[in-house]
Amino acid sequence: MFNAKAIKKDFPILSRKIGGEELVYLDNGATTQKPKKVIDSLVSYYENNNANVHRGVHTLSEEATNMYEHARKQVADFINALPSEIIFTSGTTESLNIVAYAWAEKNIKKGDVILATISEHHSNFIPWQMCAKRVGAVLELVNITEDGLLDMADLKSKLNSNVKLIAISHASNVLGTIFPIKEICKLAKQHDIKVSVDGAQGIPHLKVDVKSLGCDFYSFSGHKMLGPTGIGVLFIKKDILETLEPYKYGGGMIEKVSVDESSWTIAPERFEAGTPNVADAIGLGSAIEYLESIGLDVIRNHEIDLIEHALPKLSGISGLKIMGPLNSKDRSGLIAFSIEGLHGHDVAAVLNTKGIAVRSGHHCTMPLHKKMNIAASIRASFYIYNSTEDIDTLVDGIEYAINILRS
Amino acid sequence: MDSFYQEDLLEMYKHPQHKGTLVGATVSISKENTMCGDTVTLDLNIKDGIITDAKFGGESCLVSVVATDLFLEEIIGKSIDHAKSLTKEDLLNLLKLNLTTSRVKCATLILGAFNDAIKKYEENV
Repeated sequence: MFNAKAIKKDFPILSRKIGGEELVYLDNGATTQKPKKVIDSLVSYYENNNANVHRGVHTLSEEATNMYEHARKQVADFINALPSEIIFTSGTTESLNIVAYAWAEKNIKKGDVILATISEHHSNFIPWQMCAKRVGAVLELVNITEDGLLDMADLKSKLNSNVKLIAISHASNVLGTIFPIKEICKLAKQHDIKVSVDGAQGIPHLKVDVKSLGCDFYSFSGHKMLGPTGIGVLFIKKDILETLEPYKYGGGMIEKVSVDESSWTIAPERFEAGTPNVADAIGLGSAIEYLESIGLDVIRNHEIDLIEHALPKLSGISGLKIMGPLNSKDRSGLIAFSIEGLHGHDVAAVLNTKGIAVRSGHHCTMPLHKKMNIAASIRASFYIYNSTEDIDTLVDGIEYAINILRS
Repeated sequence: MDSFYQEDLLEMYKHPQHKGTLVGATVSISKENTMCGDTVTLDLNIKDGIITDAKFGGESCLVSVVATDLFLEEIIGKSIDHAKSLTKEDLLNLLKLNLTTSRVKCATLILGAFNDAIKKYEENV
């Protein structure tokens, strides 16, 4: 039986107080807290195994290399990929930029089209905007319907031989919408279009199988799935990976170097120039072990329970408007909303006085907020340690904030 | 943090003295806080180097509204030179709030708008 309160005990930070109040952490879309197991894995690595990886013949280097490559295997197994298809990066943003520089810039030509949506996070928007400018391509946006879903008819109407890439998030960081990646990939294949998925808000909440999804690129961050900051992943499908040139140069990625020229080793090392982030990759492996010990299906069901508890309670608050779909089936574990006449920062600051951590602002989606005519929304994002009581505390907090802020 | 939402500030936020627009203003400007998307509009009436009246509008948070209202209260009836001499620290002193780093930007949005407005005015004089 899943018990969020028992799970909460695995996270040291969740027992601290904020201004004398119990911490109610509802900013998991920004970053999740870390279980003791992950923190311990970092400490243990630095205390027992730390060395630079690859090439070293001494014991510590052997151990560090094995642990780093084991983490890569854990990530690969977690998303049903090959270890050689896993490139460690600093996070989703770097992963997406690598797709833009190493693949898109070489394969997208003048007059070609990149498709994205208006709800993309800036990190899955600006790289394509800039790439399009550099190569003379066009960035086109697929509509989002009134109820926050991807407009499939609009997507279908925009698919043609000029489209070379669809860049879309697995789940929106504001609307919460889970986008139908499998269906999108199926459509894309019919037109020989590549699909790059921003999985930052997807993989912490949904079981991801890149083979089953059929995507060509899948990017995500460790820190949004209980892992450390500074480590991310870029999955690139094998047949594409083999055609890619490196996008950065340095140690660890070469086959041979002479005064006049250099050649590159095979993937994934070809894309990991410089000393990699060994400790945090190991920490991410530890986070994956923790998530698997609970089960991604169990996590998803728990979040559905939380969403179903929260949606009617939040909707019942006068003047509160929920952004995105109004059912749990189409939603990942977050709810963003605006409150008539109140500014998001003010509501968040009042909630903070009650120990409740939520995010306010445009959440790095300025085009979406402009379109919806909202300056700063409020976002509560849940994870495995949140309970229905946390949501009740949030609802009480919002009512308190409205009470003191409204004239 | 509770001081944030103390009565006098809440009162100022709910009923700012200098909110509105000036018809036929000497100079008008709109400025966005790129951190959060908030916007402030500013209308100034200027005569013989004196700011004779000022009004603000737009959509922004409590910290921004209160800081803007206090700033305008400070500059109305004074010279442009006096208003230009006011620094970020002066504004934060007027506010008498211990702001976190992220909220300092909310408070100082009006300074950016005012500087833009004066620049626009001086270019056209």
